[in-house]
Order: sequence, then C-alpha cells, then structure tokens
Amino acid sequence: MDAKATVLAILEDLTGEDVSGDMNVNLFDTALMDSMDTVQLVLELTNQLDIDIPVSEFDRSQWDTPQKIVDQVEAKLQ
Amino acid sequence: MTNIVATIDQLAAKYPNRIAYDNLGHINTYGELKQYSDALADYIMARNLPAQSPIMVYCDQTFTSVATFLGCVKSGHPYIPVDTHSPNDRLTMINAIAQPSLVIAVQDLPIDLDVDTVSAVALKLILNTPDTQVRPQYVAGDETFYIIFTSGTTGQPKGVQISHDNLQSFTDWMATFELPDTPISLSQAPYSFDLSVMDLYPTLLAGGTVRVLPRETTENLKDLFMALPQVPVNVWVSTPSFMDICLMEPKFDAAHYPDLTHIFFCGEELTHQTAAKVLARFPDVRLFNTYGPTEATVAVSAIQVTQAVLDQYDRLPIGYAKADTQITLVPGTERTVNGQTEGELLLTGPSVSRGYLNRPDKTAAVFEQSNGQQSYHTGDLGFIAEDGLVFYRGRTDFQIKLNGYRIELEEVNHFLNQVPWIEHGVAVPQYDRNHKVRQLLAYVVLDEGQFEDHISATKATKEYLGSRMMSYMLPQRFVYRDELPMTANGKVAIKQLIGEANPS
Repeated sequence: MDAKATVLAILEDLTGEDVSGDMNVNLFDTALMDSMDTVQLVLELTNQLDIDIPVSEFDRSQWDTPQKIVDQVEAKLQ
Repeated sequence: MTNIVATIDQLAAKYPNRIAYDNLGHINTYGELKQYSDALADYIMARNLPAQSPIMVYCDQTFTSVATFLGCVKSGHPYIPVDTHSPNDRLTMINAIAQPSLVIAVQDLPIDLDVDTVSAVALKLILNTPDTQVRPQYVAGDETFYIIFTSGTTGQPKGVQISHDNLQSFTDWMATFELPDTPISLSQAPYSFDLSVMDLYPTLLAGGTVRVLPRETTENLKDLFMALPQVPVNVWVSTPSFMDICLMEPKFDAAHYPDLTHIFFCGEELTHQTAAKVLARFPDVRLFNTYGPTEATVAVSAIQVTQAVLDQYDRLPIGYAKADTQITLVPGTERTVNGQTEGELLLTGPSVSRGYLNRPDKTAAVFEQSNGQQSYHTGDLGFIAEDGLVFYRGRTDFQIKLNGYRIELEEVNHFLNQVPWIEHGVAVPQYDRNHKVRQLLAYVVLDEGQFEDHISATKATKEYLGSRMMSYMLPQRFVYRDELPMTANGKVAIKQLIGEANPS
C-alpha cells in the first residue's frame, strides 16, 4: 500500500470520513480531528509505515490537511 | 480546627517571596497571592451579597484565576469555576441552575448573563489594590467551598457542592503521601475539572509551587514538547491519557526529569500498559493510581503501583480507601461473576458532598445520609478484595470516561437529537483492548435530502454541536444509517450498537 492510501485509511479510521475527495480540508478547523487524535495518527503512521516522527517536531500547522500529512509522510519515506 | 485558606495565608505571611505559581515563566509569589485575594475579598464583602451565595468565576489557567478563587472563599462565598472553553449554552445553563449572586470574569464573558459581573479590566484594578486591611470571613466547616459542574443526563449539568470540610478531608489525606517539603507540582487540568484540585490545594498548603501547562500549549504536540523540559516538577498530576501523550517523547524519562518523585493518576482507568511504560522510564518514582468521583472530592482511594503490582494484576486495582472513608457495595446490587462478588461501589465518609446545588431530586437519587455519615452511590461497578483492595469493573449506567472527562451518553444523545437535520441519533463508545474508551461514535439517521455527502453533514453537525456542548463530549465519528436497531419495547438497541462498534 502506498503512503497516500495508508494515510487515508488511518484518517478514515480516526474521523469516520473518507477524505480522499477533499485533500485540503483543515482537519482541526472542521473538528474532524482533535489533539488526542493527533496522538493516534502519529502512532498509527509510525507503526504502519515504519517511519520515525519525532513528536517534538510535530507542529500542528504542518499536519492539518490530508495532503500535508501525505507530503510529510512521503518526505520521511524518501 | 484549621482552615485551608487561613493556612495558605499564614504561609504567605511567613514566606511572602516564595513562588506560588509559575505559568510558563510568569511567576507569582505567595505574597501576591495573599495581596490579590485579600483585595478581592475586601471588594466582595463590601458588596454585601447574600450570605454564602455562590460566585461564578469564568476562568482560565492563570494566577489571576487562583487568586480569584481564594478571594471568593476568603469573603465567605463558594466559587464555581467555569472554563473559558465552555460553550455559551453551558454558561447559560450553569447560570440558570446556580443563580450566582456575582460573576467574576477573569476573561470577558462571551455573552451577557444578566447577573452582576466584575469585568476582566475591573478585576485587574481590584486585585492590584495595595495594602487592603481585610478581615477575612473564611468559608469553614460544612459551608460550601467550591461547586464543580459535571455532565448531566438531560443536558442539564449538575453542580457538585464541596464543603470546606470535604476538601480538608481530601487535603489531609494527600498530606500522607510524603510529598517533598515544598513540592513543585504539575498543573495541567483546567480548573473546571476537579483533577486540578489534586495539584492546587495540596501544593499551596505545603508552600510549594504550582507549575502550569495550559491547554493552549498541550494542544499542539510541538509546543507541548518544547514546554515540557521547561517545567521540571516533583509531583506529576494528570490523567493517564495525558501521560500517554508525554510518553511519546523518548526523552521524557528519569535522566531528563531527575526531580520527579511522585506521579498521581486520576480521572480515568490506568491501564497496565501505561503504568508499565511509566515505571520503565521512571524506575524510582512513586506512582499512584487513585480513584474517586467529583461527588466525593477528587479521589478516595489509592495504591502505589510497583513492579510487584504489575506482575500480580492484569487489570490494575484502584486502591485502598483513605482512612476516614468506607468503600462498600450497595446492598442489593451484588452479583457473582467468575466466583467474585461485585456490585455498585458505595462511598461513605467526610469527603462525600452534600449533593447537587439546587437539585434536591438529583441529590436524593444518589446521596443518602445515615448515622450522621454521608454516602454516595457511584454508579461504578467494583469488586472489593478481603484486604480492602478495590477493583473497578465498569459502569452500571451509560456514563463513560474519555480522556479523563466524564460523559453521560444520555446527555450527548440529548444534544444529538436537537440537531435540526438529525432524525435520530445515539452516542456509542468504542473501546480499545484495555477497556478504555478510545472514541465516541454517533450513529445517526439524517432527515432526507439535507446534505450532498456525509462529510458536509458531519461538518455541519460538529459545528452545530460545538457551539452547544463541551468539546470533549463531541462524538469524534459520525456513522450514518437509514435506521437504528430497536429493542422490543421501542428503544434504540444501544447494546447492539455497542457490539457493532466493538467487534471482538
């Protein structure tokens, strides 16, 4: 499974929504996610994609849309 | 008899330059705490409010809020902490139920409550009045000290009245945990959540320092992990959920936090997994799992979780009752499960509240008095071992804990069914493998033809609910159905939906 599909599957599990048609929706402004969900998100990405996301670098403004999350993850996978 | 606030005043007179409060580097001393609260008490007393009438404090996580609480109880009035993140409807409802004689706005109110209000600007001026010669009328004995509003089943929050003596029973017990002499304690919970009482009063009574990690910081992981090393503490008080977040930082360990001596968990079930992780990171820390409802003043039982405890129990016990309190099973609720007798936990003792403010009906339903002792029916299922060790088994009703917050599913349902485009909705908890609620789901039947797709329905619903209920009660996920399963007597088959949400 590629990064985008994995991210979308995790987001669907967290938010209950298929956000693939709305990659630039702000997940926090729309209340689709809250701060506890970010913890789940980081844990799932770390486990499923075997990448390291230092939480001290987790600036919410860089992770607030599906597209930004995909970009962040793809950069880590390079 | 000692008095909690008089004791804090005596400490302030003796050690005026000691640091009472440290809010990310903004520091305030005990001298300031006394000066500010004296000035406010003087102002309140001059207003001749009805005796012991409650004062609503619209508060954030700042020194001003704490000085305001003390100013209220110094003038003989209980305070009602209402967090600035509360939706307007909750403010209106609490105001209607509590009928406060005064509102003190640490930050300006978002709506007009039609009550005498001290604005944020006026409060600053009052607090800074120098050299007030106040003759304090400390709240004492069984007079109400604070009132904390919790969730209610019909959307009506309930105000738990905690007296001076309730609180003293709790702080006396906290003093038996051998905290450092002038402890520095973490304060993470907002003041409208009674977990905050566990750090605030025990620390001030010991002449220690309260170090704040406000919500604005903990919301963004990057800010949190930048701030965390700046708040070295001896005493850690938080929900297990908040600890889980902090444990994501590998450098959060004894080597980087050598000052940490005590950890207190309260507010929700502590899982074996979290406790084991904490002990691995902080092998020499004394870790306590505590238990108690707001109705019995923060916590009434505790156990130190050691490696031996972890080895012995898969699901951790919630501790032994504090010395002045009895934990028993409500007669008639006992049943035998796997050879153990479990039932509804009944708490009896001097920290049990007298009941809910202005709600004799709700009070009579769960509180009782016999032989001069007050008891509270917790709604928690438990098993009590022969040596008095108590184990939590779940709820007898539809109340859940999510991230430490107590939520009545019926209250969530009440709001869900007020949404104009929702025909029918029920909230259902989704559990993780440690029996903890991971998410709150809402199963919803929409009115036809209202929305193009489910995302827009969810957005609109969250927006509608967000302005009416506390954000921690908002369902995270909405699941749309054409109809909901019903039981034979025409109610939503909630157990069936819980089963669907939690496939085994």
